[in-house]
Amino acid sequence: MKENTDLERRRFLQASGVALAATTVSANVATGADNNEMCQAPALNSLLRKATLPRPRGARVVIVGGGWSGLTMAKYLRLFNPGFDVILIDRQSAFVSFPISNSWLADQVDLDFLSHSFFDAANNHDYHFMQATVLGFDRETRRVYTEKGFVDYDYLVLAPGIEYDYGRIGIEDTEAQNLLFHRYPGGFVSSSELLTIKRKIHRFSGGTFLLNVPNGDFRCTAAPYERACMVAALFKRQRVRAKILLLDMNAEIRIKKAGFARAFAELYGDYIEYLSSSEITNIDIEGRRVETEFDEYDFDDAIIYPPVRASRLIEDNGIASPISPQKAANTDPFRYHLLDDERVYVTGDSRSQPFSKGGHTAHSEAQYVAEVVAAHALDKEVRWRSPQTMCFSAVDIDPLRAMSIITYYKFSDKTGEFAFDRTHLIERWDTQGGQASLAWAEGMYRDMFYS
Amino acid sequence: MNRIHITLCYSLCILVLVFSSKLAAVEPIRVVLEFTPDLDNGRRSFEICARCHLPEAWGNDDGTYPQIAGQHVNVLMKQLLDIRSGQRANPTMQPFVQERTIGGYQNLSDVVAYISTLPMNPMHNRGPWPVDSEEYESGKRLYRQYCISCHGQYGEGKNELSYPRLQGQHYTYMKRQARLARDRLRRVAPVMANLFTTLSEQDFDQVLNYVSHLPVPASDLAPDTAWRNPDFK
Ligand SMILES: Cc1cc2nc3c(=O)[nH]c(=O)nc-3n(C[C@H](O)[C@H](O)[C@H](O)COP(=O)(O)OP(=O)(O)OC[C@H]3O[C@@H](n4cnc5c(N)ncnc54)[C@H](O)[C@@H]3O)c2cc1C
Repeated sequence: MKENTDLERRRFLQASGVALAATTVSANVATGADNNEMCQAPALNSLLRKATLPRPRGARVVIVGGGWSGLTMAKYLRLFNPGFDVILIDRQSAFVSFPISNSWLADQVDLDFLSHSFFDAANNHDYHFMQATVLGFDRETRRVYTEKGFVDYDYLVLAPGIEYDYGRIGIEDTEAQNLLFHRYPGGFVSSSELLTIKRKIHRFSGGTFLLNVPNGDFRCTAAPYERACMVAALFKRQRVRAKILLLDMNAEIRIKKAGFARAFAELYGDYIEYLSSSEITNIDIEGRRVETEFDEYDFDDAIIYPPVRASRLIEDNGIASPISPQKAANTDPFRYHLLDDERVYVTGDSRSQPFSKGGHTAHSEAQYVAEVVAAHALDKEVRWRSPQTMCFSAVDIDPLRAMSIITYYKFSDKTGEFAFDRTHLIERWDTQGGQASLAWAEGMYRDMFYS
Repeated sequence: MNRIHITLCYSLCILVLVFSSKLAAVEPIRVVLEFTPDLDNGRRSFEICARCHLPEAWGNDDGTYPQIAGQHVNVLMKQLLDIRSGQRANPTMQPFVQERTIGGYQNLSDVVAYISTLPMNPMHNRGPWPVDSEEYESGKRLYRQYCISCHGQYGEGKNELSYPRLQGQHYTYMKRQARLARDRLRRVAPVMANLFTTLSEQDFDQVLNYVSHLPVPASDLAPDTAWRNPDFK
C-alpha cells in the first residue's frame, strides 16, 4: 500500500508541472528530505486519492477545459459513441461566453445571455462535469491529476485554451506581470477580467483610454478592433470626453480591414486614434505610460491584451513542440493526437495548427475530432475536414450592427502548410448582421448546453 | 434582377392540443397558406443565410452543409419550419429561422423561392463506386425498388408533396443524414424511418452512391465551379 502511494506520488510529481508541486519536490530534493515526510504533506495526499466519480460505463474520455472546444467535444463524443464515458473538467464554476462579450460591454445584451451552467450541459448531453483544476497527467498510467483527486482515462482531450505571454511586451518579471494583469486585464482569458473591464469603461470620466492589438496568433483576430468600436460607442453615447488610443502591434488592421477602418473614421473619428506598427516594448504600470519602439504614451486607464501562448499545461507536461513559437503541443495536424500517443488529443485554442483562434473554429473542429476519437476506438478512420471560422464583429450600437466573415482552410501539399480556402466577407455593418451575431451565439449555446 | 411572381402553396401542420379531464389528444390540423414570393426581397433575406451557406448555397463536399441551391420550394419551406419548431433538431440554425431573425412567412417564402432559382454546383461530391461498378448497380436496383416512387426516376423529387430533390446532393451529406436518421438523431417521415430497418447500412451507402451519380439537367447547373453568385459581389 505504502509502496503504491510512493510510486503514485513520484508519478504525479513527474507528471505534474504545477508550480506548487514542483517547488515541493525541488525543496525536498535540495534538503535531501526523505520521501515519507513529503508523503505526509496533507495537500499532496488529497491529490493522490481517486476522485469521486460515477463508475465508468465504458471507455473513459477525460476532457480538460469546458470552453467552446471541450463542451462541444463532450457532447459529440457521447453522440458519436454512446459507449464512451465522458468526464468534462473545468476549474471554473460556470461558463461565460467571450463571443458577444464586447456587445455586452456596450449594454446590447445582458450577462444572462452570456452565462451558462456546466451542469445543464452535462445533464442534457449525458456526461459528467467535474469542477476541478487539472494539475498534470501521466501518459504511462493514463491518469489525470486534479486537486480533487485523480481520474483515469482511456482517452485524454486537452482543450485548456490560451494564456497571456507578457514577456512579449517587455514585462519579464512575474510580479510585474501579475500586477499588470490585475490592474489592466486584457479580457481574453477569464470572466472576472470582463467584469472589471465593464466597470472601468462605464465609470471612465474622461482622458486617454489605452487599448491594444497583440501580434502573433492571438485569440479572436477581430475582437480587439471590435472592442475599440464598442468602447467608443459607449463613450459616444455617454458623451464622455475621451480618446481611445488603439495601439496595433501589427503593420495594419489584421481582419475586416476596410470595414474597421471605415468605422474608425466615420463613426468614431472623434474617439479612436488608431496607430499601426506600434510594438509595445514596456509598460510603466504605476506611471501609466506605455512605451513602443519609437514613442511613449500616457494613459488614464487601459485594457492590455498581451500576445498569447498555448496553456502552460502543455509545456509543463512535456508535450510542447520545441519549434512552436506559442508552445503548442506536438500533434498530428489532421488527427489532433500527440505524435507519439494516440490516446491524447489537443484541440481548441491550444491546438498547434494555425487556424484562427475562435469559438466557432473550436466548435466545428471539435465535432470532427469527436468523430476521430470515436473512430479510433473502433479502429476506423475519418476523412479530414476543415474547421470553419465564423466571426461576427459588432461595430455600432442601439441597435446593434455587425459585419461577418466565414472562412475555411485547406492544406497545401506543396508548401506543407494550411492556408485560407473559401472566404465570404461582409464588411458592411447593418442590423441584419447584428441580429445574425446574436442568433449565431444563441445557436452555439443551444448546441453546447441545451439540445 | 427581374421580379418574378409565382404562386406557391405551403402546407403547415399546426398541432392543437385538446385537453379533456382524462386524456390529452393531439390533433393535426392542416392549414394552407398562400404567398406570392418576391425574389428581390428573397435575395435580400438570403444574405443572412449566405453568412454560413455562402452566396452560392452549394454546400460542402465534406457533408457539413447540404446543397440547397435548386431545391424545391416546398422542401426548403418544410425544413425551415421543422427547424424553427424544433421538429428537426438543428440547434445552431434554429435561432436563424425564428421570426425575429429571418422574418415571417412572407419572408420565408421569398427566401426559399430565391434559393430554388440558384444554379447548382456542377461538381457535387459523389460516392466512391463509379457508374457500372457492382455496387453502383446494386444501389440502382435498390433505388428502383424502394425510392423511385417518391424521389422519382432521376432523383428529381416532387415539390407538391415536399419530396426532396436528391440529384446534385453531396454524397457525404446524404450519408451523414442517413447515419443520423439510423441512430434516431434526426427524425424522418415514417416511410423513411422504416427503410432503415429494411436496408442495411451497406445497402444504404450503395443507394446513396447511385443517387449521387444521377445527372443534374445541364440547364440547372452553374457553368463551372468558379461561378460566383453575382447578387453578392
Ligand atoms: C472578447 C472576445 C471576443 C471573442 N469573440 C469571438 C467571436 O465573435 N467569434 C468567435 O468565434 N470567437 C470569439 N472569441 C474567441 C473564443 O472565445 C475562443 O476562441 C474560444 O473560447 C476558444 O475555445 P477553447 O475551448 O479553446 O478555450 P476556452 O473557451 O478558453 O476554454 C478553456 C477552458 O479550459 C479551462 N481550463 C484551462 N486550464 C485548466 C486546467 N488546468 N484545469 C481545468 N480547467 C482548465 C478554462 O477554465 C476554460 O474554461 C472571442 C474571444 C474574446 C476574448
